[in-house]
Amino acid sequence: MDTENLTVPGNLDSLKAVREFVKRATGSAGIDKQRAYKLTLAVDEILANIVIHGYDEAGRSGDVEISYHVEEDRLRVDLYDCGIPYDPTQNDTPAHLDKQLEDRPIGGLGVYLARQGTDDFIYEFVNDRNHNTFIVNRAANGS
Amino acid sequence: MEIETNSVDGIAVATIIGDIDGSNAAAAQSQILTLAQTCTKLVLDMSRVSYMSSAGLRMLLASYRAIAGKGGTVLLAGLSEDLSDTMSLTGFLSFFKTSATVLEGVGLLK
Repeated sequence: MDTENLTVPGNLDSLKAVREFVKRATGSAGIDKQRAYKLTLAVDEILANIVIHGYDEAGRSGDVEISYHVEEDRLRVDLYDCGIPYDPTQNDTPAHLDKQLEDRPIGGLGVYLARQGTDDFIYEFVNDRNHNTFIVNRAANGS
Repeated sequence: MEIETNSVDGIAVATIIGDIDGSNAAAAQSQILTLAQTCTKLVLDMSRVSYMSSAGLRMLLASYRAIAGKGGTVLLAGLSEDLSDTMSLTGFLSFFKTSATVLEGVGLLK
């Protein structure tokens, strides 16, 4: 099983390094280009939320750990952080997607994109850490 | 990420170069809003943006509001398939005029 770990500081300058990490993961798992982009977007959106809401706005600082595991039929990416507990999977689909741009509230799109870009998106809070798991099937069926 | 601005046939064109993410979208937004104060027709050349997160969507939303608020038009030129997909999924795409190239976009706005 192919696997890799990376620890980055919980700030927005880490976004690019994590996108490159996810690119290596999808390359290693043989995920096609379009679905690789969507997974990269999913992880990037959740990491940005962690940095902005979990750390900065909460007056906290810390690292974010990321790992990937290429399994037989799927790729799993795990993010761990010590920001305030937040479960993005409880974030409903934004109700304003059909609204005129002038009338839209800003926000909520990142979590929506994260859910759209994965076959499974799981959250748990364990040992005082947020743990977000992104799963993409290696074969494109069912997505 | 960098933004180069110029004028093609009297139409303002801003070329965004590089990934747009949570670390730089606010800076891009402030540059484009400054430009938006001086024009009612704006072409954003997106052909050199290979990645854009929702922070970029917020930047586009702010640009749209600034220009559409005074009866103008924002056109997005050269969107990649990935960027188009994100914008379509979030309902943003239908609000913008689009074109394959800057020159085509300038022609549409003239």
